[in-house]
Amino acid sequence: MTEHATRHTPPEGPPGDGDVLLVTDLSRRFGDLIAVDGVSFRVGRGETYGLLGPNGAGKTTTISMVAGLIEADAGTVTVKGHRMGPARVEPKRHIGLVPQELAIYPELTARENLTFFGRLQGMSGTTLASRVEDVLDVIGLSDRAKDPTKEFSGGMKRRLNIGIGLLHEPELLILDEPTVGVDPQSRNSILESVESLSTAGMAVLYTTHYMEEAERLCDRIGIIDSGLLQAEGTRDELIRLTGDVDHIRLDGSGDTVAAEAALLALPAVEQVDRERHTLHLAVHDAPTAIAEIVTEATSAGMRLNDVQITRPNLESVFLRLTGKALRD
Amino acid sequence: MRQLWTMTRSDLRQRIRDKSVVIFAIIVPLALMAVLDLVIGDAQDEPIGPVTVAASVPAGDDLAAALVGALDGLGGDGAGGLRVTVKDAPAEQVRDLARNGEAQVGLIVPDGFGASLRSGTGKQVTVIEGDGGIGTQIVISVLQEAIDHLEAGSSSAIAGSRLGLTPAEVAAAAQSVAAARPSITLARGAASNEQLSMSGALVAGQAGLFLLFTVGFGVLALVYERDQGTLARLRSMPMRPGLVVGAKALVAFILGVVATSILLTVGGLLFGVDFGSVPAIAVLVLCVVTASTSLMFIVARVARTSEQASIAQSIVALVLGIAGGAFFPIAATGFVGTLLDLNPISAFIRGLGITYGGGGIGDIGVPVLIMLGFAVVAAAISRVIPDRGAGL
Ligand SMILES: Nc1ncnc2c1ncn2[C@@H]1O[C@H](COP(=O)(O)OP(=O)(O)OP(=O)(O)O)[C@@H](O)[C@H]1O
Ligand SMILES: [Mg+2]
Repeated sequence: MTEHATRHTPPEGPPGDGDVLLVTDLSRRFGDLIAVDGVSFRVGRGETYGLLGPNGAGKTTTISMVAGLIEADAGTVTVKGHRMGPARVEPKRHIGLVPQELAIYPELTARENLTFFGRLQGMSGTTLASRVEDVLDVIGLSDRAKDPTKEFSGGMKRRLNIGIGLLHEPELLILDEPTVGVDPQSRNSILESVESLSTAGMAVLYTTHYMEEAERLCDRIGIIDSGLLQAEGTRDELIRLTGDVDHIRLDGSGDTVAAEAALLALPAVEQVDRERHTLHLAVHDAPTAIAEIVTEATSAGMRLNDVQITRPNLESVFLRLTGKALRD
Repeated sequence: MRQLWTMTRSDLRQRIRDKSVVIFAIIVPLALMAVLDLVIGDAQDEPIGPVTVAASVPAGDDLAAALVGALDGLGGDGAGGLRVTVKDAPAEQVRDLARNGEAQVGLIVPDGFGASLRSGTGKQVTVIEGDGGIGTQIVISVLQEAIDHLEAGSSSAIAGSRLGLTPAEVAAAAQSVAAARPSITLARGAASNEQLSMSGALVAGQAGLFLLFTVGFGVLALVYERDQGTLARLRSMPMRPGLVVGAKALVAFILGVVATSILLTVGGLLFGVDFGSVPAIAVLVLCVVTASTSLMFIVARVARTSEQASIAQSIVALVLGIAGGAFFPIAATGFVGTLLDLNPISAFIRGLGITYGGGGIGDIGVPVLIMLGFAVVAAAISRVIPDRGAGL
């Protein structure tokens, strides 16, 4: 729990050119409850930023302020250099929101839903029409485009919910737990489309309480709990913060004693324990070091039967930082 | 502007698709008109009453005579007029007459009534209610009203005697005060030029009542949108927040105007009512729809959930609709009467009475002012009261 002291400090220096979103000291309370408490982060072009936290952490409240749905009590949100707020129009041109709660009209068809929000975003004519068809294709709903969405399954509604957010190809896509209640297959296709949008240069702000999603998608992750941004960084930076290292287990035969000595000499290897024909290694950045480790052990005369890598994950980071499990 | 129209069109499309607005705004009221017309159809041309009053009045008491005279004011020969016959009877027989049905109301004015009023001491007047319907109630409330006014008159008489007027002058003053009482307004028959026929009142009343439901569908869509999450998405769109509210108002207005026009036209054709000047009716419709739309914004502001919104909407619609005379004429005087007069549905029905009686745009100023005034006040209130949910 000493890591509580690692409370994140705001990004330093002036906003970089690549900053699509800049959040500074954002706070919001509901009555006596401080839902968001001085949160700061930035998201650049082509970058995916994840807010990872358990239920009630303040993710949706943060996103609501970022998207200009509610007023912040303190702090600022800047999108493409425009100050965001409920009454601001300009910054909202640059964002696409996928709310946590479904936000689609049950009486309208999938195509009508897309067209309606596309018009409100300022699109029209053939641009809008062809973009609607593209999105229907991406979210796999082309063959159901004419059905009222009240006849859709939960997962289909979720996909449409996401489709509306990216229809106008916003520079900042904001997704609030978009995969909750979606089957693994749809979930994968959602994650894939987020990945490809990010590759195409879109900035993405993504909230989740699924650690695997954060690990897979996000370039940088902010860990949020009780309204506080507890820590921020790349996955590896966060894990290093906890002092945890990767573990590699080598099973085999031959000269394990010589292998132990050779491996200990490697800079990436912190510690080696030998137990009969098995070596337990504590290493930094196992994926990078693994090739060298295998080569070194083999040339020292060890014949490998099995290699296993175990890395600390964000779950353990979260537990260390907050003393809580991510999923409660 | 384009966004306003996009939202309005989409809302109209949804309201029409989910059919409830068509059912509640047009089909149900037409069906109710038909049912009510059947129920009261027989009684349609009969005046209320007639009522016989068995009265024991001390001879030579001018104020007691004024009291009985108040009942004459109800006579009249209008279609809605109430026929009242006053039958003199000895005090001890009045009760029996009222009980055995020969009279519907018994009235016993004690000896010395006038003198006691003048001296400010007051004496008990006995009113006995026999069998009878609305007519009996009207007569009794008229008597009550007359007694109140006579008492008011008596205090000026006392004041007069202190000023040294002669008893005759005092009596004259008291009587003139009593005579100057505002005529008691019956919903039927008071002013024949504002009177709709029974069928006309039915059509207008139902149109007024259901209008509140109809505009509710438009405005309360705000609350439904919040529940269904789309309001959050609308707020993330690049447009001024006021546009969302504006679109709802526009939808409510369009639905209200269309539904009311259909109801008045179809209802008029079905029940053979000609409401008169079309431009004047159009003005009345626009005004009452404006007032109703404003009112629903208060409901949207106060309701936390869709359920609360629809309950509140129903209550408001029923209270204003019934008070406005959607099912039967309502009469009241004093404070309550004034309150009823400010009801936009009453004003609308009264306005239709004027056009039915041949009035044009120039004659509907009062109801129009009431409805527009109501609209302004309701709109102002809806902006001032704290938002309980929809975040308008
Ligand atoms: N409108 C509101 N009124 C009162 N309290 C609120 C409101 N919205 C959020 N809160 C409170 O603020 C805190 C943060 O809520 P928020 O919705 O931001 O959490 P979250 O991280 O999105 O959680 P989840 O993973 O469950 O979606 C919670 O304690 C919640 O109860
Ligand atoms: Mg949330």
